[in-house]
Amino acid sequence: MTRPVPKKIIITISLLAAGFAVLFGVGLRGSLVYYLTVSEFLERRAEDLGDNFRVNGNVLEGSIERTPGAIGARFIATDGAHRLPVVYAKETPDTFVDGSEIVVEGQLGPDGVFVAHTLMAKCPSKYEAQNRESDYKAPATSAGPAGQDPASR
Amino acid sequence: MPDFGSFCLLLALATGGWAVVASYNGWRTASGTLIRSAERAIYATWGLVALAVVTLEYCIFTDRFDLEYVASYSNRTLDARYKFAALWAGQSGSILFWLFILVCYAAIVVVLNRRRNRPLMPLVITTFGVVAIFFLLLVNFMSRPFVSLAFTPADGNGMNPQLQNPFMAIHPPCLYLGYVGLTVPFAFAMAALATGRLNDTWFRTTRRFTILSWFFLGTGIVLGGWWAYVELGWGGYWAWDPVENASLIPWLTCTAFLHSVMIEERKKMLRVWNLSLVIMSFLLSILGTFITRSGIISSVHSFTKSDIGPLFAGFLGLCIVVSVGLLLHRLPELRSQNRLDSFVSRESTFLFNNLLLVGAAFAILWGTLFPILSEAVRGVKITVGAPFFNEVTVPITLALVTLCGICPVIAWRRATPNKLLNKLMIPLAGMILTTVGLLAAGMRNIFALVSLSLTMFVVVTTIMEFVWGTRARRTATGEATGRAFLSLVDRNKRRYGGFIVHLGVMLIIIGIVGSTAFRQEIVATVARGESFSIGRYTLRFEDMERRDLPNFEFQGARLAVFDGGRPVGSLVPGQNFYRAGQDPSTEVDIHHTLREDLYLIMIGFEPQQGRATVKAYLNPLLNWIWIGSAITILGAWYAMLPDLRDRKRQADSRLRELERHAA
Repeated sequence: MTRPVPKKIIITISLLAAGFAVLFGVGLRGSLVYYLTVSEFLERRAEDLGDNFRVNGNVLEGSIERTPGAIGARFIATDGAHRLPVVYAKETPDTFVDGSEIVVEGQLGPDGVFVAHTLMAKCPSKYEAQNRESDYKAPATSAGPAGQDPASR
Repeated sequence: MPDFGSFCLLLALATGGWAVVASYNGWRTASGTLIRSAERAIYATWGLVALAVVTLEYCIFTDRFDLEYVASYSNRTLDARYKFAALWAGQSGSILFWLFILVCYAAIVVVLNRRRNRPLMPLVITTFGVVAIFFLLLVNFMSRPFVSLAFTPADGNGMNPQLQNPFMAIHPPCLYLGYVGLTVPFAFAMAALATGRLNDTWFRTTRRFTILSWFFLGTGIVLGGWWAYVELGWGGYWAWDPVENASLIPWLTCTAFLHSVMIEERKKMLRVWNLSLVIMSFLLSILGTFITRSGIISSVHSFTKSDIGPLFAGFLGLCIVVSVGLLLHRLPELRSQNRLDSFVSRESTFLFNNLLLVGAAFAILWGTLFPILSEAVRGVKITVGAPFFNEVTVPITLALVTLCGICPVIAWRRATPNKLLNKLMIPLAGMILTTVGLLAAGMRNIFALVSLSLTMFVVVTTIMEFVWGTRARRTATGEATGRAFLSLVDRNKRRYGGFIVHLGVMLIIIGIVGSTAFRQEIVATVARGESFSIGRYTLRFEDMERRDLPNFEFQGARLAVFDGGRPVGSLVPGQNFYRAGQDPSTEVDIHHTLREDLYLIMIGFEPQQGRATVKAYLNPLLNWIWIGSAITILGAWYAMLPDLRDRKRQADSRLRELERHAA
């Protein structure tokens, strides 16, 4: 013979569930950020997609400029097809070098330069890409995303 | 040598396959011979995988750069410790390592249960075997560690310097021991469902493994945070990165499971819930490693895709179908006769505890998977930022903290409000005193006030548990206080170990609150002799410092530190410039005190003007996170120690089983 679940428990669980739903909704609303490649971002720029974007690309070789004495850097993000100038005003991570894969989050400024408030550069080692034939890169070549690239820098 | 390794792995696939076939058929036909053969197959698989691991390590240590894996992750001058760790530095090596831990667990479980749990063991072996086969397939065909290069390079690429850190070296093994350990209760749950033996044997017998997994997962998470803090140099320890979340989510469901089994033990309730939790934890651990490796979710740990994703997805799908199917099949038998007696009872606090933990896990999972879901639905990736995770987990954590304080005090079945309030008097007083004290000290941050007061409430409740328990024992047995205390905690290791864990977790929360709510930061550019201040500290730039080491050169800025005028030494944040040509790495310097951390990053140096740019963080109470973690670890260890009562119960149940066989 089974007894029914106390009504208070059901009410509390429902309240909890409702609370979760509210938390979710509020939390999500403030935190959704489109994640686009450089080309996608430049295409969609005209649409009104809101403020914050995450753009994924690679650092164009030789494009990193730093001002001595100041933190941050200017560089050009590219996905091979298009280029996007970016300026970032905080200290850059160690993995941020020529060719490294990056994700920046921020907004496009009026002058066409992307103002990033977050910069992530790919974490070293760990599991390499499918595109490369081998994890191993001979010292002679130096192109390609950072990771286990040795020597020549 | 490498061929030998590949051969071992291929053979292991065969023995693993036989383990599955023999154990399953052994169960179907109740053939002891087949089952014994399956057990030996598990041992054989273990031996073969162990040989493969030893082979790979041998190749690493003998600088076999003709192997792609060795050339990618090691070099001649790499320190021996990190050569050892190179085993799990790359994709294929880490899968082999996961497989090795899996077969170790399998072999240990088989050995420990040579004469026990005989009805369940065959299908336990089957489950282990199936999981092992998946990883064996990966390591034999999709992600092979013993691939040769067309040529032999003179030296390898070496391990990235940021990973050459003791904590980073043991962080993956720790996490794997945790993740893989969840396979143990899962295997027993599968066996229980398939055989219809749905009493509490399956989780009693695996309880220590579950606590062990929980412990390793938690430690791995903390180690990752510690490494991020001291090595990565962005001043923080947790970024809600998908890979970080992937380890946190199964830890949360595992925590829920550790609590809810206590209800099943006492009241034979929540059986479906517990089985679901165990299945979920296992699936989440596989999902976790899938997220980390496949690159389907962008993260600082992995951006690009790899092709082992579909296989993982397929395996996950298979596991879901089989486990949910079995669960549904047994649903009628699992319905319990008992119901919750009252809203105000320990059972209900456990229930709410579980709902909150699983709710948090689900929320974090949702936020982490959102980009994939949005891409599937709307064709564009939408990521969820840190604010979502913080907004969702903070209220849930505070609710959990409150339960932590109420639950030990509230009675089973039905608590009388009067008695409850009586016991809560002292903790509530402690909480109010804390709030008043903090307000008087000038704290106005609501979040901090609420959090710190609630955690203090729990700390007092937990300490009172020790006090009341000792007092009760003293009254009952007449022992002296000291002796009563010792025998109390000795006879109830799980209970009091659990309370120590709660205390540790409260300290962690205090550390998180302090370092989040009251953090300060400043960036300053100073010439030699110039100073700047943050909080109570004044920092004066003395000079640049240079150190020559065999593998790198260190350049840093030496700053003299003054704590409100009193000199406390100097900090030298800087950078390592590697001779092998790898990119320079930031080396932060930290002044640790119990009260706070003074954390310095050197941003840059201008040689001409002789000025250094330094960023300083003040992280109040941050070290309580590590102290609390250590206490949590000790508590978990204590809870895992054998109990007199458990041994007696085991002996009794073994006796009953023998009697049943004899009858």
